Amino acid sequence: MSFSQNREPITIEDGFKLIDAAVTKLTRIIEGKPEPPFLPEEYIGNYTIVYNMCIQKPPHDSSGPLYEKYGAILQAYDKLTILPSIMEKHDEYMLREVSRWWEINKIMVRWLSHFFYYLDRYYIARNGIPSLTVVGMTCFRDHVYEKVHFNVKQVVIALIHKEREGQQIDRALLKNVLDLFVQNGMGNMERYEKDFEDFFLTETNSYYSRKASSWIQEDSCPEYMIKAEESLKKEKERVSHYLHSDTEPKLVANVQTNLLVSVAKQLLEKENSGCSALLRDDKTDDLSRMYRLYHAIPQGLEPVAVAFRLHVTAEGNSLIKQAEDAATSGIVEEQVLVRKIIDLHDKYMAYVTDCFQNHTLFHKSLKEAFEIFCNKKVAGSSSAEMLATFCDNVFKKAANDKSNDDSTIESTIDNVVKLLDYISDKDLFAEFYRKKLARRLLFGKFSDDHERSILTKLKGQFGGQFTSQMEGMGTDMQLGKDQQTGFEEYLKNANTGKPKGVDFTVTVLTTGFWPSYKTSDLNLPLEMVNCIESFKAYYEIKTKHRRLMWIYSLGNCNLTARFDAKPIELIVSTYQAAVLCAFNHTERLTYQELIDQLNLSHEDLVRVLHSLSCAKYKFLKKDPASKTISKTDSFEFNSKFTDKMRRIKVPLPPVDDRKKVVEDVDKDRRYAIDASLVRIMKSRKVLPHQQLVSECVEQLSRMFKPDIKMIKKRIEDLITRDYLERDTENPNTFKYVA
Amino acid sequence: MHKLSRSNRDKVQQFVAITGASEKNALQTLKASDWQLEAAFDVFYSQPQPRSNADVRRLEELYNRYKDQYSDMILADGISVLCTDLQVEPQDIVTLVLSWHMNAATACEFSREEFVGGLQALGVDSIKKLQEKLSFMRSELKDEQKFHEIYNFAFGWAKEKGQKSLALDTAIGMWQLLFAEREWPLVNHWCDFLQDRHNKAISKDTWEQLLEFARTVDPSLSNYDAEGAWPYLIDEFVEYLYDKSVVEK
Repeated sequence: MSFSQNREPITIEDGFKLIDAAVTKLTRIIEGKPEPPFLPEEYIGNYTIVYNMCIQKPPHDSSGPLYEKYGAILQAYDKLTILPSIMEKHDEYMLREVSRWWEINKIMVRWLSHFFYYLDRYYIARNGIPSLTVVGMTCFRDHVYEKVHFNVKQVVIALIHKEREGQQIDRALLKNVLDLFVQNGMGNMERYEKDFEDFFLTETNSYYSRKASSWIQEDSCPEYMIKAEESLKKEKERVSHYLHSDTEPKLVANVQTNLLVSVAKQLLEKENSGCSALLRDDKTDDLSRMYRLYHAIPQGLEPVAVAFRLHVTAEGNSLIKQAEDAATSGIVEEQVLVRKIIDLHDKYMAYVTDCFQNHTLFHKSLKEAFEIFCNKKVAGSSSAEMLATFCDNVFKKAANDKSNDDSTIESTIDNVVKLLDYISDKDLFAEFYRKKLARRLLFGKFSDDHERSILTKLKGQFGGQFTSQMEGMGTDMQLGKDQQTGFEEYLKNANTGKPKGVDFTVTVLTTGFWPSYKTSDLNLPLEMVNCIESFKAYYEIKTKHRRLMWIYSLGNCNLTARFDAKPIELIVSTYQAAVLCAFNHTERLTYQELIDQLNLSHEDLVRVLHSLSCAKYKFLKKDPASKTISKTDSFEFNSKFTDKMRRIKVPLPPVDDRKKVVEDVDKDRRYAIDASLVRIMKSRKVLPHQQLVSECVEQLSRMFKPDIKMIKKRIEDLITRDYLERDTENPNTFKYVA
Repeated sequence: MHKLSRSNRDKVQQFVAITGASEKNALQTLKASDWQLEAAFDVFYSQPQPRSNADVRRLEELYNRYKDQYSDMILADGISVLCTDLQVEPQDIVTLVLSWHMNAATACEFSREEFVGGLQALGVDSIKKLQEKLSFMRSELKDEQKFHEIYNFAFGWAKEKGQKSLALDTAIGMWQLLFAEREWPLVNHWCDFLQDRHNKAISKDTWEQLLEFARTVDPSLSNYDAEGAWPYLIDEFVEYLYDKSVVEK
C-alpha cells in the first residue's frame, strides 16, 4: 500500500467491506477452523485501512463510523455466534462453551483492537469515550454475560455440590468460569459477588446447616469435630483451586457458623462425648482440636471456656460433697480432701497449658471454678481452716518422719500457696495457720527448713504483711534459745541454784506476733511458783519496762509419780501437773476443793480431771466412777496404778477455738474496713456511696471478701464518730471531715 | 399608706398582725420583697430583731414567772404552767415548734437566753401574743422546708444530754408525734420493726435519713434503690416489710 496523498479516499462502504473480510478471516482463525494465518502485510494492511479512513479529510474522515463499526462487529459476533452456541448446550457442556467462547472473545477483542488501534490513539482520547478494549468487554458483558450468567451460576453451584458430596469435578473449568464473572465486573467485584458469590454462600449455608443437623444427631463430639475440621480444610482448598480469594473469609465464616457456632451448645454438652466427657477422660487430642476450631472464630472460645468452667466446678463440688458425706461426727478428713483438690488442680491446669494453649480465657475459667468450690464449707469447717489444718498435719508428720522426701514437701507447699489464692478469706487462713504454727513451735514439732520455705512462698505471693507475724514467731523461738542459755548461766552464777531442784525452761513470746491466749489466774504449786519467781528476777535484770504475762495453758511438765508398784514419769500439761500436785498434800479432794484451791475455770478443770481420771490412764480415782465429771465428784490419788511403761504421755485435748478464731478475724476485719474507708475518703474527699463501697471491696480483696452490710455499718459508725458526713445536697454522697 | 393599692395595704396589715413588726418595718420589708408576703416573712424572720428595751423588760418578767426557784432555767414545772397559760397540752407538737424557735438545747428546759431570744424571734412579748402565734406555728409544720428543719432539730433536742444517740422509746414517741403532722403510711410499721428487731438507740444519721426515706421513697417501695446509701437500719426495715408481706417484692 502506498501512502501517497493523491490517492482516492476510501469510502465507508468500501472500507467496511475490507474490514468485514478481515473479520471473517479472523473469526475463522480463532475458532480453530482451517485458515491460513494473517501475513504480516495483511495485518499491517488492516491497520492501515483504518488509519487512512481516519486521517482522510472531511467529509471522508470516518473515525465515528469506524468506532461504531467496531462495536457493531463485536455485538454481531456476540449475538449471532457466541450466544446461540452457548444457549444450545447444558450443564457442564454449557460451561465449556462459555469458557471457550470467553477465550475466543478475548482474542477477538485483542486482534480487533489492533486493527482499529488508531482510533484509540486519537479519536477515543480526544472524545473521552470508552476505549476499544472496554467497548469489547462491555459488548460481551451486555450481550452474552447478562444472558447466560444465571444458568452458568446454577451449573457451577451444582458442580460444587457434587464435589462436596465426594465426586471429582473439572476444577480448571470452574476456575475459568469464575474468572469470567470477575472480569465481567470490569474493575470491581460486583458481578462476581451478586451473580455468583451470594448464591454460592446461600447454598453453602443450607448445605452445611443440613449437614450440621444430621451430624450432630449421629456423631459423637470428637467425630463431629473431625468432620468439621475436614470440611473447613476442603472449603479452603476449594478457594485455592477455583474460587476467588475474596470469598475465603466469607466462606470460612459461613461454615464455621453453621458447623460450630449454631450447634455449639449441643456439641459441647453432648452426653458421654462432649466437653465434659473429654475433660474427664483425658482426651487431649480432641480437646486440642476443639480449641483450634473455636479459636478461629471471634468469641468462639467463650462457650468452650464456659463448658470447661462448669465441668471443673462440678468436679470440685462433687469432691466437696464426698468429703461432706464422709465426715463422720463432724470431723472432716482434710488430708484426703485437700490432696484431691490439689490433684484436680494439677490435672486441669495441664489442660489449660497444653490443649488450650495457655489462653487467658481458660486460666480465668479455671480460677473462677476453683473460687466457687474452694470457698465452700465442709461439715462446718471453712476451707481456710481445712487448708491450715492440712499444712499443720503435713509439717508435723514431716518433722517426725525425717525420711520424708524434701521435694514432695516443697511441691505440697507450692500447691498450698496456689490453693490459697482461690480462697477468699485469706485472713481467716492466716489466723488458723498462726494458731497451729504456735502449737507446732511450742511443742517442738517442726522442721525449720519447711517452716521457712512456706513463709517465703506466702510472702512472695501475698506480701510481707501477711507473714510478718508468723516470721516474728519464728524469730522469738530463736531468741528463746539464747534467752534460755542466759537464764541457765544466771542460775549457775547466782547463788540460788536451780529453784528447788526443778529444771525450768521459759520461752518468751512477743505479744503482737503470737495469737492471743487467755491467761488464767491459776494457783500454781509452790515448786512452780519458785521457778516463776526466779525467772522473773532474771528477766528484770535483763530488760526493764516489759511485763511478763504467763500462759500456763501452753506449758508442759514432767512429773515423777510415785505409785505403789513403781514410779512412773508422766509428761503432762501444766494444768494437769497443777491438779496432780494438789494431791501431794492430801489424799482426797472434792471438785469444789480443787476449784477453790487452783482457781481454774470450770471448763478447764473438767477437761483436766477427765484426762486424769476417766481416760485411758486413771491416775486419780473418781468417786462416783462414772464417765463424766460432775461438780459433786471427789477424787483420790490412785496409788495402785501401774503400767509397763516407765514414761507416759498424757495428752490434754485442745479446746475447740474455731469460734474464737472466727470472732477475732471478724474484729480485725472491722478495723481493716474502717482503716480502708478512712484512707479512701481522705484521698478522695468526696465520693458517692457506690464507689466508696466498691473501692473498699477492691482494696480489701487481697485478704478477704468484705460483707457489704458490714461496710455499710462501718460507714455509719464513721459518720457517728465524725470522720465522714453525708453531703447535704445529695445524701448518697459522702464527704471526708478533716 | 395612701399611695398603696388595696391589696398591698391588706398585705401590710397582715404582716403587722402576724409578725408584730411596726408598720414602717412592714412596708419596708414588703417593698424589698416585691410585695410577696411569704418572701417578706422569710426576710423578716431572718433579720436580727431590733431589741427595744420595753420588749426585753416584759420578756424578763415573763421569764421570771416560769423560772425554777433554785436554778436560772425554766424546768418541767415552769413549762407545765406555761402550757396551761397557753391552753395547750404539754405533749402538743406546738411546744416542739416553740422550742425550735428558741433553739433550745434540750427538752423540758429553757434557759433565759433561749426563752427570751425565742419569743423575740417570734416577735411576741406576752402570753396573749404568744397564744395568737400558735396557729402560725402550727402552720409552719406544713411547710416542707421548715418541717425538715424542725424534724432534724428534734433529734438533738429530744436526746439525753451527753448522749450521742436517741433512746428508742423517745425516738418512737417523737416519730409518732411528727408523722401525725405529715402523713407517712409506713410509720407504724417502722415503729413495730424497731421494737421487734432493733431495740437499740437511734443514731443521728438514721434519724435524718428516715425523713429522706419517708419523703422520697413511695410506700410500695417501687423506687427504693437497694444499692443506695441508705443507712443499714433502713435496709433492714425494707427486708422486714418484704418478710411480713407488707409490700410485694
